[in-house]
Amino acid sequence: MSAAVMGAPKVPRLRLPQGHEALLLITLAVLVAGIGMFSHGAFWSRINLDNLFVSSAITLIPAIGMTVVILTGGIDVSTGSMLGLTAAIGGSCFAAGWSLAATVPVFLLTGAGLGLVNAVLIIKGKIPPVIATLGTLSIYRMIVFIVLGSNWITQIPPVLTRVFVVDHALWLPVVALIALGFVIVASLFLRYFRWGRHVYALGNNEEAARLAGIRPERIKLAAYVMLGLLTGFAALLTLGQSPMVQTSTGSGFVLQVIAAVVLGGTSLSGGRGTMAGTLLGTLVVQVVDDGIVLLHIQPFWNGVALGVIILAAIGLSSRRDAGGM
Amino acid sequence: MHASGFDRTRPLLLAAMAVLALAGFAIGHPDILSGANFDSMAVFGVEIGMIALGQTLVISGGDSGIDLSVGAIAGLAQVVLGRLLHADVAWPLAVAVTLGAGLGLGAINALAVTWLRIAPIIATLATLFGYAGLALVLSGGTNIDLTQQSSWFLALGQGHVLGLPFQLIVLYLPLLAMFAFLQHGTFYGRALYLTGTNDRAAALAGLRVGRLRGAAYVLCGLTATIAGIVGAARLGTTRPDAGMNDNLISIAIVVLGGTGIFGGTGSVVGTALATVVIAIVDYGLSYNDFNPIYQAGVIGVILIGVILVENPVLARRARRLK
Repeated sequence: MSAAVMGAPKVPRLRLPQGHEALLLITLAVLVAGIGMFSHGAFWSRINLDNLFVSSAITLIPAIGMTVVILTGGIDVSTGSMLGLTAAIGGSCFAAGWSLAATVPVFLLTGAGLGLVNAVLIIKGKIPPVIATLGTLSIYRMIVFIVLGSNWITQIPPVLTRVFVVDHALWLPVVALIALGFVIVASLFLRYFRWGRHVYALGNNEEAARLAGIRPERIKLAAYVMLGLLTGFAALLTLGQSPMVQTSTGSGFVLQVIAAVVLGGTSLSGGRGTMAGTLLGTLVVQVVDDGIVLLHIQPFWNGVALGVIILAAIGLSSRRDAGGM
Repeated sequence: MHASGFDRTRPLLLAAMAVLALAGFAIGHPDILSGANFDSMAVFGVEIGMIALGQTLVISGGDSGIDLSVGAIAGLAQVVLGRLLHADVAWPLAVAVTLGAGLGLGAINALAVTWLRIAPIIATLATLFGYAGLALVLSGGTNIDLTQQSSWFLALGQGHVLGLPFQLIVLYLPLLAMFAFLQHGTFYGRALYLTGTNDRAAALAGLRVGRLRGAAYVLCGLTATIAGIVGAARLGTTRPDAGMNDNLISIAIVVLGGTGIFGGTGSVVGTALATVVIAIVDYGLSYNDFNPIYQAGVIGVILIGVILVENPVLARRARRLK
């Protein structure tokens, strides 16, 4: 299924310069080598690697959706609240004694539904994505409070932890394998399927894409709903990682997701970026996080490190594209 | 009518909203209409109102201009101030150094957006991380007590002049007048409007678009810093996470005040009036013992609601102009 739309400008197969992914790989290698050395091997312990893979997977799954959203020229800053609200609603079902089979769809549908709300506000309401989702960020969090009251939900079925986190296949925790599978599917989809090519066309030039017969509204709608769905799934995985829902569940999460995506080279001016970049970006974010813990650095440095890395990485690539100056 | 499109009906609308909000809260708690409560509302409104002044310039400069780091700047400014005061730096000097640091933080945002050419959302999200992290690092994550500091310093946030809060009379209103003059009475203001309306035309007309927008981020950093200092003096303490919801609230105020989210329109006068409305809503909610999460949620509803109501109106106006 080749993508060339009649009359549309030909979209190069890989818009992202290979250089960026190489740069990320080198960064990652340096970080891993440094942390491995200074943590006296603690980095390479099975427990640490498993933790690293599990948290990377939980960030990576919504990051796949976020990559597509950003590729279309949008953004969603409400993802953390969405994760919290999905966990609160799904967790309430668990607490009410619902079976796993009945509750999993609740997670997925809640996530997709919240993504749909964002999509409608952005597409039908014509609200700039950052402002619409800044609004829903606070609204979803308010609803988390309404749902939970002052309670914590701890009745999470242990099977979640066992299946997703404890069990291994091919040397990796199962969540990590699932996340990798998603990355491969999404990557193939973006590269070889018509809708995937449309995502790039739309991000490059919305007006041109529209003239070429692409319907931007549909693609954007699909992107936000897909992000919601993946976030709903991530909420389920979060409960496998730590079996508890509280009012703060998911706060701060979106920053990691967006950091991973933009660090991976996906550009907010749209039309540029790959899933491979997002995978590497996620690993860099999580390795920094892990390194700060292992090297006994004050955890407060985490934000500073991420901020600096993002500015440096994007600043370098966007100035290079602009022709230096 | 001013070319920037500040519409005349907006002040009436905002005044009506303010009265309605106040009346709504007064039904539940008539005592909210007391002088002491108005005083508290003004004190709350001043800090977020200052930030909204800077945010107005940033948003009206167009090109998806937005500063998500304002709250982090306010928090970091407080911590810098607290550290300086605890190192026995004289308070006027400490305040001056903090203001300088705030200009620097704004300048980093400006450089990230205009020189590194990072999308404003991403650039200020990254600095939000960075500044909030630095505030935690510098404070060790704890509050710094300032209650033992000079009463002159504490008066910045607790004093009264002519029976009204010091920060309202001596800081906010003059700042508002300066921003209004800057926006409506100077070359810079007009150039920023043009940049926000059509940056290509502005560049072709010989304007340095990047510098105009950059200056807005620097001024926004400055107003966030002043708000942080006033907040520290008011509470007699510094908190690294002092400004957590400031980005949401300041953007809601700017939008409610009639500044178009696509740049090139609006006025700090509208922003000031919208500040009154938001201050009433926010204070009213906390007066009724609503958790801050609910305040943020309600402001989120207001933000989205205002734009949903306004967009069709704007679209109709645009069609008529064609």
